[in-house]
Amino acid sequence: MVYNVGVQQNISNRAVTPSFGAEKQEKRSKCENHDAIMVAEMKKHPISTNLKIQADKFVNACTKYPKKGLSGSKNANFYEFLTMGSVPYVVGSAMMIGVFNAASKFFDTPAAKNASKLGKKMGLGVLAYGLAKTASKKLIELPVKWKHGIDVNMPYKKVVYELPEEGNKDNLVTHEYHKVFESVDFPRWDLLYGNENFGPERNAYFEKVAKKMGMDDGDLEHADQKVKPKIKEKLVQTKVFSTLASYLWAGTAVGVAMQKPWESLKLGKGFVKDFGSKFVESCKQFVKNESKGATIAGRALLGAAVGVTLLGNFMTLFDFNKDKGSKTQASTSLIDNSKEKVVC
Amino acid sequence: MTNVLNNIIANQPIKPAKQAPLPAFTFNAEGKIKPLDDKAKLLPSRIFGSPIEYVKDLKQDVVNIGRAATGKANDHELGRINDVAMKLGSLGLAAYLFAKNPLKLSKAMEFVGFGTFFASMALWPKLAIQAPIKARTGVDIHQKYVDSQGRKKMLHQDPQYDLTDLYSREDLDKMGKKLGVSENLPDRDSFIKQRAKKTATQGNTLWMMTAGIATPVMSALACNRLEKPINNAIEAFDLKTSQKALETGKTGFFQKIKQSMADKAFSKFLAKNADKTVDEKMAGKIASYMGLNLNSASMQSAVASEIAGMTKAVTIDENFVRNALKGQVDDAIIASVVGTDAFKLAAQEGSLKNIATLLSQSAVEGKVAQQKLSGKLLATLGKAQKSGAKPTVGDVTEKIKGLYGSLSGLTSDKQILDRFVSARVGDKSGTYIANQWSRVCDGFIKSLGLNGKELKALADGDMSILSKKLAAISADDEAYNKVVSKLMKLIGDYEAKTGQKFIETVQAKSAQMSSAASEALSAGGFAEVAKKVSTEATKGTLKNVVDGAARERVAGAQSSFYRLLQSLDLFKRIGSSNAESKLAQMLKDAGKVADDAAVEKLIDAFRGIALSATATENIKKLKEVGIDLAEEEYKSIVKTLSPDLRFQLSSVLKKAGKPCNGTAVDKLLKACKDMVLNATTTDYVEKLKSAGFELSEKEYKAVMNVLFGEKAGSTIKASLGGGEQASAMLRGFGAYKSEFMSKVANWQNGMTPELSRCVVDAATNGANAIERNNLAGKPVSELVRDVAKQTYNSNKWLKIFGGTMIALTAVTLVAGLAIGRKSKIEKQLEQEGKQVNG
Repeated sequence: MVYNVGVQQNISNRAVTPSFGAEKQEKRSKCENHDAIMVAEMKKHPISTNLKIQADKFVNACTKYPKKGLSGSKNANFYEFLTMGSVPYVVGSAMMIGVFNAASKFFDTPAAKNASKLGKKMGLGVLAYGLAKTASKKLIELPVKWKHGIDVNMPYKKVVYELPEEGNKDNLVTHEYHKVFESVDFPRWDLLYGNENFGPERNAYFEKVAKKMGMDDGDLEHADQKVKPKIKEKLVQTKVFSTLASYLWAGTAVGVAMQKPWESLKLGKGFVKDFGSKFVESCKQFVKNESKGATIAGRALLGAAVGVTLLGNFMTLFDFNKDKGSKTQASTSLIDNSKEKVVC
Repeated sequence: MTNVLNNIIANQPIKPAKQAPLPAFTFNAEGKIKPLDDKAKLLPSRIFGSPIEYVKDLKQDVVNIGRAATGKANDHELGRINDVAMKLGSLGLAAYLFAKNPLKLSKAMEFVGFGTFFASMALWPKLAIQAPIKARTGVDIHQKYVDSQGRKKMLHQDPQYDLTDLYSREDLDKMGKKLGVSENLPDRDSFIKQRAKKTATQGNTLWMMTAGIATPVMSALACNRLEKPINNAIEAFDLKTSQKALETGKTGFFQKIKQSMADKAFSKFLAKNADKTVDEKMAGKIASYMGLNLNSASMQSAVASEIAGMTKAVTIDENFVRNALKGQVDDAIIASVVGTDAFKLAAQEGSLKNIATLLSQSAVEGKVAQQKLSGKLLATLGKAQKSGAKPTVGDVTEKIKGLYGSLSGLTSDKQILDRFVSARVGDKSGTYIANQWSRVCDGFIKSLGLNGKELKALADGDMSILSKKLAAISADDEAYNKVVSKLMKLIGDYEAKTGQKFIETVQAKSAQMSSAASEALSAGGFAEVAKKVSTEATKGTLKNVVDGAARERVAGAQSSFYRLLQSLDLFKRIGSSNAESKLAQMLKDAGKVADDAAVEKLIDAFRGIALSATATENIKKLKEVGIDLAEEEYKSIVKTLSPDLRFQLSSVLKKAGKPCNGTAVDKLLKACKDMVLNATTTDYVEKLKSAGFELSEKEYKAVMNVLFGEKAGSTIKASLGGGEQASAMLRGFGAYKSEFMSKVANWQNGMTPELSRCVVDAATNGANAIERNNLAGKPVSELVRDVAKQTYNSNKWLKIFGGTMIALTAVTLVAGLAIGRKSKIEKQLEQEGKQVNG
């Protein structure tokens, strides 16, 4: 048998129906793109929106995507595969904590005490790794956002039309959370045009970025053409430096978590105060340890993290390619625009 | 006229045109742009990648980081940079933890942890998912390809980006065969490609779902398994290199760097403080720089006082006299004297006394007044000389450096000796003594043949199992011989590495280094420091610190090992103590006795006599109690009874006038077991007392002699058999036994602690409490409990996470079996000879 059902036939049964521009007849009548940039939500409720996106992705990564993936669905895609990557992170972190803590309850008291000392440090180390890795990226990303107006994490909700398949012929529309700039080769420029949140002009976003980047030479009519290569260049730099710095900060955080004061950390009353004082003490020990080697190594690790972060800030906030023009591989034009051509 | 320019142009060598960069597009015949030809190709399908390729890729990644920093990178490169950054960050952390951990093993394990984690991350999907699926379906879910731009990517990364056209005819046929796709299916290739894509999607999902559990657990298990071999390798390396350093006298690379840094810091300190006066405080500071690895407070203080005592030479001349005596003697008088030859001579000789006399003779008249003034002037001049002699650091830098130089030989020798001692008997984990301790203890625990429950009970302190197990081993000759020879082998190796020869080496080396340093110091004029490092073994000197530390540790562990043998021997002797029944049988066979009562009477009579006396005497004594024996019969009975433990103990009881029947002996044996397993240095007697045996000094010694003295060790000897090696081993055990008997197994140890403290040193042949403790060793029960706890904990951990890993692997492999199967519709399609469309 051959399926004859098409997407259009099926979407009529769906809860979310794609609009073909009927609501905004006054502007354009052609089929509108349903992928929606979430700039308004991010402006109003940045934290809750982010949490919502992360929660939605993680729940799907644990439930829907494995189901699709394991059944070999033809609708499974790379986004789902990447999103499922959060599962080993979370489960792996829990396992790491477990490896050092789970068996200690069977041990007798002194052994349990020793195991618990190490377990506490390892547990904290795992949490510190994740926390520092995520938080430290902001040290590079936020200054870029403030200075150039480029939010590398700007999310958009993508509507995906799936193919009907065995066991699912009706519920064929689903959504994914992407980032406008997740690809440096193909940023979703289309989503940045004509968005009221950036301004009334169709080009408003690019005009704003051009101004912020000091590219306002009085002619902003084609700001998008001017600014796109620059945005790509800054995206690459922001990504590479935030990645490098994040792992160095994560290493530093684990180093702090491995200090002695944590061994006596107790849950219960006064935990926050206790945690705070132990954190301060551990940071001190990290840069000034009783072992000279550890002091040097600790300072080197911290120095590398701070150094890469500052270098990242320096490289991303200032424009060193201004005069030479952008050399971004992804942005280099391959085609001579002055010649007429036909693509076959 | 020749056109010069044309000539030049014409004569230019023809260079091949530089190859133009590859175009990003081509033109077709009509001059229209068309995409480049597809240059993508599959890479050979391999489970394990080539290391050369890995290094090449890594190099490219590092180059890419540099390019990306200036904004030049694409998505693919950024993705790869993420992996490199993760490894770099982890490597940085491992390096930090390496520096932080004081022990070599912990240091090594940081990098092992790093390595196993990333290895597990890479290996798990290959071994548990990729390889089995490939073997069953022919689909390599991690098949790689190179795209037209030369970037290596995964073929099945994105199921929506279909690259299955890259599969060759052979690939498709192979997969089709393994996937069981009917050969008659129309558009079979398309069907196979779809199945491959589906299989890869399933496999990749399974990978994501299992990696979180597998990676940390696999890594932890690998670390757990690798710890022991790495520890052994470090131990072997340390033993070898420290031995070599001792033989050649060359310090290691890191020590050289450390020493050179210390030298520089010292020179810097001297230069910085050149204008400061050398008072006691400064001398102490300087000494602390010289104390690198000397580890001795008295050495430091000797060096400090040597420096504090340093003076600078004061020139005795006209100016010195004028300044010193300003206000005390008129200038005119001084002027009249300083010009004289007598003054010049006195100044040259440095004789303040003569100068004072000359001045007093000029200043006053009358012998008495002159003498009085001379005395005063001498005192003033002396004081001025002394205060003028107090040097600054700069004044005596050369001298201090001389002292430092003389000591540096000692420092370097000391480092070498410290390393040699530390690698063998250092008080930290990873040393030979620590590892040998584990090997002996683990070997002993293993030989007990404990099951999980018994191990747990022992770890919880239920020591009844230990007695039962020891009794069981003793009853089985083969098991007994095995454990004894195993222990003896380990103890023999221990003695060879840490025994008398080792002690002698350390002593000789420390004497040699002390005398060499002492000579150098004496030659440099540093008598006080030289005295401190001289070969005389006075308390607090370097030599004693070195020797003492080594000795104590060796003795402590060695005694604990021998105590294991003591307990095995005692249990074996208890187990084989059947002389009474043997005797009864022997006498019955010979028709000598009527019943058991008669045998008991005979044995009781033997208990009362001293077997050391002559046969004739004893036969006479026995006759007196109504037992008439021929000499041969007597000798035969003595031969049967004398090695028997029960008989030996009952004889002691009989001679002490205490009940010596079977019940009493059983009670005593129980107390003996308690002693050998649990007693510490001071409570051997207490164990007997609490079992109801109030013994006199002589009786106590007799019991101890039976248990641990001459009679002990017979089963060990029998177990080892003959041979030179066995004799050498037994010699060590014999020496230990006699020392134990003389210093531990005596009456005084059983006194009340107060009284014991007063008399014990004298009564135990000068052994102090530490030495006695070292001789008694660790009580067997304590040793077994500690090892049982460790073993139990480690087994428990292994059980939990090993079990997790086995379960996960099983689930993954079973799940893998479902991957790549045909769905119902696919089966139907196949049957219908059709293919899935879209």
